[in-house]
Amino acid sequence: MNWESTLEFARGPFFQVALLVFIAGMTYRLVAVLALGWKADKVKSKGSKVNGIAMSFAKGILIWPFIPWVKNTFTRNPITYLAGGLFHLGLFVVIFLGAAHVLVWKSLLGFAWFSLPQPIVDWLAAGAIVAMIALFINRLVNPVLKLLTGPAEWLNWLVVFLPMVSGYAMTHHVIPEYDTLFAIHMLTVDVLLIWIPLSRISHFMFYFFSKAIHGSDFGKRAVTP
Amino acid sequence: MPEETIGQHLKKQGISRRDFVKMCGVLVGAMGMKFAPPLEESGLPAQLNNVRDSASANLIANALETKQRVPVIWLEFSDCAGCSEAITRSQSPTLVDLVLNTITIEYHETLSAAAGFQAEKAKEDAMKKYAGKYILVVEGSIPVANDGVYCTIGGRTALDLLKETAKGAAAIISTGNCASFGGLPRANPNPTDAKGVWELITDKPVVNIPGCPAIPEATTGTIAHFVVFGGLPELDNLHRPKTFYAQTIHDRCLRRPFYEAGKFAESFDDEGAKKGYCLYKLGCKGPTTYSSCATIKWDQGLSFPIQSGHPCLGCTEPNFWDGGGFYQGQSAPLAPPTVTMAGAAVAAGAVLGVGAALANQVQKKGAHAEEKKEG
Amino acid sequence: MKSQTVINTFVEKTGAYVAAQLEACTRCGMCAEACHFYQSSGNPEFAPVWKIELLRRAYEQRFTPVGKFKVAFKLDKPVTDEDIAHWSFIDYQACTMCNKCSMVCPMGINLGPLIHTVREGLSDAQAVPADLKAAVNKQEEIGSPLGVTDDVFDSRIEWVADEWEIEMPMDVKGADTLVVFSSIEIMKFPNNLAAIAKILNAAGEKWTLSKKGREVVNFGFYEGNDKLTKEFMNRVFSAAKELGVKKIVVTECGHAYDALRWTSANLMDVPEIEITHIAGLLGEYVKSGRIKLKPGALDGNGTITFHDACKIQRRGSHIQEPRDILNILAPKSFREMTPNKEESICCSGGGGVIAIKEADPIRYASFELKIDQVNKVGAKTVAMACSNCRLQFTDCVQHFNLDWKVAGLSQLVADALVE
Ligand code: SF4
Ligand code: SF4
Ligand code: SF4
Repeated sequence: MNWESTLEFARGPFFQVALLVFIAGMTYRLVAVLALGWKADKVKSKGSKVNGIAMSFAKGILIWPFIPWVKNTFTRNPITYLAGGLFHLGLFVVIFLGAAHVLVWKSLLGFAWFSLPQPIVDWLAAGAIVAMIALFINRLVNPVLKLLTGPAEWLNWLVVFLPMVSGYAMTHHVIPEYDTLFAIHMLTVDVLLIWIPLSRISHFMFYFFSKAIHGSDFGKRAVTP
Repeated sequence: MPEETIGQHLKKQGISRRDFVKMCGVLVGAMGMKFAPPLEESGLPAQLNNVRDSASANLIANALETKQRVPVIWLEFSDCAGCSEAITRSQSPTLVDLVLNTITIEYHETLSAAAGFQAEKAKEDAMKKYAGKYILVVEGSIPVANDGVYCTIGGRTALDLLKETAKGAAAIISTGNCASFGGLPRANPNPTDAKGVWELITDKPVVNIPGCPAIPEATTGTIAHFVVFGGLPELDNLHRPKTFYAQTIHDRCLRRPFYEAGKFAESFDDEGAKKGYCLYKLGCKGPTTYSSCATIKWDQGLSFPIQSGHPCLGCTEPNFWDGGGFYQGQSAPLAPPTVTMAGAAVAAGAVLGVGAALANQVQKKGAHAEEKKEG
Repeated sequence: MKSQTVINTFVEKTGAYVAAQLEACTRCGMCAEACHFYQSSGNPEFAPVWKIELLRRAYEQRFTPVGKFKVAFKLDKPVTDEDIAHWSFIDYQACTMCNKCSMVCPMGINLGPLIHTVREGLSDAQAVPADLKAAVNKQEEIGSPLGVTDDVFDSRIEWVADEWEIEMPMDVKGADTLVVFSSIEIMKFPNNLAAIAKILNAAGEKWTLSKKGREVVNFGFYEGNDKLTKEFMNRVFSAAKELGVKKIVVTECGHAYDALRWTSANLMDVPEIEITHIAGLLGEYVKSGRIKLKPGALDGNGTITFHDACKIQRRGSHIQEPRDILNILAPKSFREMTPNKEESICCSGGGGVIAIKEADPIRYASFELKIDQVNKVGAKTVAMACSNCRLQFTDCVQHFNLDWKVAGLSQLVADALVE
């Protein structure tokens, strides 16, 4: 198997299968959790749950990186905040607004949207990679993270890191064999897609639930979440 | 008369030394001598490294004048003769003139006046006479399925002819994507099992000049290099001369600023297309395509596809026909799942999820019962 | 097998609410930075997320294919009885259920309630610290963890009425408002009783105490014992129903307020009676002018600051009222600590921790964060609306030899009443 045919495989059938596994797996995860059943909340609200939820998301998505200063916890673990924030920002920008990925969305969804100028995407991608390395080191030195980190966390880190570096290496032609890097990038992406439903990387889906729970709990009590 | 030197030959043609040096200047440019080749290996004086422009033209002229013309055998297999046609319409006629003056084409099916047995005879003679000295240029891929029956000339298979001719060649130049990487004949499902030359001939130096067609200046420049330096230029890992294939189209593309700025034509007739925006979203393969179209261009430097509004097809790369549709983004998956497939995946996930949840509900209800049994 | 019982309880209690949050956790460790017990000890096991580790493991092993796979291939250790003992330690002694951690969790995981679920499991397996269990038993048997029996209650109320010359209506049918004290106030801060009575009388409230519903503290809730939690709340509710009141006022107790106001309806059928906290009521009185305060009454005695209790402010929303009051009483000398309001640092004594002797070292260590905070604003007086916090503060003031004055909000208000 040479790189050309590897690429064809990774961009073609393997990608298709990986994406389907991803879709089925995530649906499974979601349904399996939700179908455990919710208990109705019979407590009389003081404030508005909806406002609480809105606030919780607004804070989480729009100003999350700035909240820690308010909380006084920023200085205690700045790496997690900064690197975590930068990583997610970079990741989302690259995946959703990088021209190359917009074309992927277009071919998947049949429509697409604008893309950001290359240098912005590129610097954010580099930032995300640096952030990943910082997070890696942080997991080695922070006592709490040492306790919380097991093989699963390292694996997750690796599975996310590989497509990022291979993608970056590819756009920067670090070796002339573009198809080699492209193939590696696609292979790692495929592995990532399959790995997500099996791991904590799926947190992005449950994020919407946990944030909503948090928001509604605080909103119900008329406290800003 | 290949025995006479190039200098003698040119004089006979009535080309003055002054014109000759001028032509050599073009050649210097075409070979990218200002920025490229490691001359030590070619055995030429190291001073060549330092000379520029007219000085280097003079040196080349001196080198050429004393050399004998190089015999070339040009074979066509599964091809369209596009590369041959392209070379006759090279953008720098002086260069072609020069090259045609420094080589003698001993055999070329399409160009030679002779045909049939006569031509074959000429070839055989040349092969014998110049054994170990001639350059073999191959155009078109070589089908190897079923013992190569899908391409035969004079009753002999392409594979057979190639092997035979390659034996006495000093070097082989594969011109065009077909000869280099299989090209169109190799496209899925590749019924004839077409292959490029370098996959079949491994005991001779093979240079790939991919393209569809190959940029004529790249072919002639490479031949000229061989003539001047007596050896092949530096190659990349796909055996392409670095002089012509070291950079991507994207690296030198005139639309590149728009790419950087995130300004793209979304269709061939939209405002962006009119403004000359980047063609990436129309399927341009420029970022992954190593070639010098963007600098040498075509038709006497008039234009090249991207300049005229068409995305790069990636014709200098292996797998050029199977790397996704021409108008499909180069990053897009080759086989995106259909809606039905996605729907089925969702359904499968949901069914499994409900199943798991039901089983878990049962677990929840019986949680403490089990314990009581255990006592 | 204690471990089995705990896991079974977890399995039973894990609905989508718990599961979705467990699934969302990224194990980023951020929550640790919010927890005063981790901050003060540096012990990573005190990280909030680690406190729910058992719950997570039970969920993973019993409900998810990945967990089942791990168990089958021995990649994950089963939960043992030693684990249970260990987690009993970290969940009861190193957590005040203050929920500050959920404020910093980037995923918004509501760790407090999840830790409560862990306590429920531990409670089912009888893995509760002996001191705490003793207090719970006491409340079950005699109606109060601090030994306020019927007789004690009677004599204390009588004594307060005499001592402060104040009317303390008892079991008045047809009253509007039932006031329920916590035994901490009854036994340790009787002046709070007098103060609240004085304010209510001044506001012209038709209120009453009840002998049956005399204890608002809910040690069953601390323990995570659903059955007793309900029973203890039921004592208050049935008294309220019998007396026909329209409103129940929880006095200066935080956990009780969380249980009664924000949890009861999800555990049992509750009567249609408004439940409020005294801090809210005071704010209302002041705002509506039912009571008048001497402006600046507290100025001139050094800086005064307000300690936000987790259950009354962060989980109870009475954030603004105490500030309104203090801005009247001490417009010049009231200063805020940082962080404050819903982000305040817990006193480290709540959640039953102060009832556990064994937990004293970590409780004191953790209080040092509070000392820092108070010293930073240079406060001489620390006001609060929770008598559990107040108990912790007074105990620590003694322990650390501090020169602060610790005051209940009601007491400050009562002292500054314009009659
Ligand atoms: S048109 Fe093609 S080669 Fe030119 S900048 Fe755009 S993507 Fe690159
Ligand atoms: S902060 Fe939230 S997501 Fe991070 S480890 Fe703690 S509970 Fe999990
Ligand atoms: S609820 Fe409070 S005490 Fe408990 S873990 Fe969270 S921050 Fe720490």
